[in-house]
Amino acid sequence: MSENIKIVKNATCTFCGCVCDDMELTVDLDEKRIIKAKNACVLGRAWFAEHTIGDWPVAMIDGKEVSKEEAIEETAQTLVKAKFPIIYGLSDTTCEAQRQAVAISDIIRGTIDTTTSVCHGPSGLAFQGVGESTMSLGEVKNRADLVIYWGGNPAASHPRHFTRYTVTPKGMFIPNGRKDRTVVLVDIRKTPSAPVADLFIQVKPGKDFEVLWALRALVKGKNIDPSIEEETGVSLATLEDLVDKMKNCRYGVLFFGMGLTMTRGRHFNSGAIMALTTDLNEFTHFVTKPVRGHGNVTGADNVLSWQTGYPFGVNFNRGYPRFNPGEFTTVDTLSRGDADAAMFIASDPASNFPKVAIEHMKKIPVISLDTKQTETSNLAHVAFATSTYGINTGGTVYRMDDVPITMRSAFDSPYPDDEEILTAIKKRVQELVWAKQGIKIAVGEARVA
Amino acid sequence: MSLKLSLHTKPDVPLEADVICPDKLNGVNETAIAALTVFHGNDQTALGDFFTVKGQCDGEIQLEGDLANVKHLGSEMTIGKMIIEGDVGQHLGACMSGGEIVVEGNAHDWVAPEMTGGKITIKGNAGHLIGSAYRGSPIGMQGGEIIIHGDVKNETGNTMRGGLIAIGGNTGDFTGVNMLAGTIIVLGEMGIRNGASMKRGTIISMHHAPMIPTFSYVCTYNPTYLRMYLSYIRKLGMEVSDEQINGNYKRWIGDAIELNKGEILLYANE
Repeated sequence: MSENIKIVKNATCTFCGCVCDDMELTVDLDEKRIIKAKNACVLGRAWFAEHTIGDWPVAMIDGKEVSKEEAIEETAQTLVKAKFPIIYGLSDTTCEAQRQAVAISDIIRGTIDTTTSVCHGPSGLAFQGVGESTMSLGEVKNRADLVIYWGGNPAASHPRHFTRYTVTPKGMFIPNGRKDRTVVLVDIRKTPSAPVADLFIQVKPGKDFEVLWALRALVKGKNIDPSIEEETGVSLATLEDLVDKMKNCRYGVLFFGMGLTMTRGRHFNSGAIMALTTDLNEFTHFVTKPVRGHGNVTGADNVLSWQTGYPFGVNFNRGYPRFNPGEFTTVDTLSRGDADAAMFIASDPASNFPKVAIEHMKKIPVISLDTKQTETSNLAHVAFATSTYGINTGGTVYRMDDVPITMRSAFDSPYPDDEEILTAIKKRVQELVWAKQGIKIAVGEARVA
Repeated sequence: MSLKLSLHTKPDVPLEADVICPDKLNGVNETAIAALTVFHGNDQTALGDFFTVKGQCDGEIQLEGDLANVKHLGSEMTIGKMIIEGDVGQHLGACMSGGEIVVEGNAHDWVAPEMTGGKITIKGNAGHLIGSAYRGSPIGMQGGEIIIHGDVKNETGNTMRGGLIAIGGNTGDFTGVNMLAGTIIVLGEMGIRNGASMKRGTIISMHHAPMIPTFSYVCTYNPTYLRMYLSYIRKLGMEVSDEQINGNYKRWIGDAIELNKGEILLYANE
């Protein structure tokens, strides 16, 4: 360890949707790495510890190192030439960079989509169809006396969720912390989160919708046939007991994960849990929230919603935004072979998309912006290496409860950030589009906000 | 003489051709039709770049070629007839209120979303969300007929409020979900969670189907009106037997969470 040590207080961890902002980082400025992350969970510690400055070039075209400017020019030309360009990713970058990406897709009349479409996209559809009774995590900490997790395993995916917001902390109306709360976990198997819960309910795989629907009926005072146990694995008595708990709590919260959104039924599963929440508001105060994964995936939803009116899967082909999941979401545009150019920002679809989508990715020019080398950057025509948000780049991120959090850089990186690259691409594509349309700019460079 | 449009260049990316609709092409000459705007991805281009135009539209349009990547055909159609020889892309007959579309091949997702009148016949299979509401819209199909001889996928008749959807093959999950009124007849098998959240309306299937917990069995009977429906779709070329027309049906009602005035009828003599 060198002498050149810097302590960064109240730093923000952007690994998961909890976006904990109480980190105390010890940075070795000579070695350019974080040697200690106080308050971080196991995932956060790994996030900070594994972050080092790589030695790959800032920009590459077809695997060969080029200058940043050349790569920006090539990117702009590729995007402007394309008839169905898509932009995807955005969940691991700042809101400032996301804004630039939306502007680019508007200028090039492309399609913009975020990783929401492969995680909580169905919840986005359900918000529109059913509505969401929502809250901030601070409210949960101070008020919730019944906390239900459905189809998620926060002990593994969001380790500090329990201790920072939902289970153990003492709050204004929860003076004794854990003792004042009832915690319920509903899942298809006993996960590491189960020991935290007072009540664990095991549902047969793929039967969440039926259980939620039965709960809705019971909340509304309708009869449910005891054969529900045979179908779902949950007895009527258990359901009645849960309904009793839900109706009689002072402030209840339903958190749900991808166990609901990415299993058969998708947006109807999310819709069912939101509708159940709405029903429960006849009796008590009840709220619901998807437990979001990536650090700023909630920000991606917010930025897209405020700029285009829709949260994901937005198409600008006709000059105005149109929303149609299934038609404009990235897995679909790639699998059907619609897209003829793609820009992936801070995500690695080549490692987790369906095979047919990856095959199409290999046929079209791909532009990638990422902090490290990935499957996607390896197959990219133009690959930019950028700095890591929350560690080398400041900006704004949204926590999973839609609360914006400002972050600062812990130490400098030699790489540019996503916003810088995207702003340069935006300016260039705007110039090219104006040139194509015969619009002449009076003086200087393109005046783009 | 009818108008014939033959695809001579296959689009590389989706082609949005909502101008291809009898309302917009009636009485227009070949040159003017070829100059009409279509969207090839984000590129505004002319219809003639993709289609050979022959004849003049007197209410009927014939389309030839692989149109699987051509979207929005017959959007907002009110009169006339369109005959599509092959497959067709998404949003066929979106929001149509009259006229007739016949597809000899398969159709993609979103056949006749939010249609209020007219008739669509598809000889092959179709995709998801037949006769549905667009996302965020409170009402789907309100009238007209959608006759599909093959199989379809999920969410058939999502939020429909009127009209008839008849499926010759099987349907996916959530058939008639959020249904407000109208009729869906499925001659094949249905997937799971049919009629979830339905308020009114009728879903009929010739096979057993799993029921969600908020539906309850009422009786087995032989509804008279069903004979009329089944005889009608038999006339349209669908395979309906005499036993099915005269047979008994198990009546389930739901969704109890909503008004409990919807019904699912399942053929009992299977």
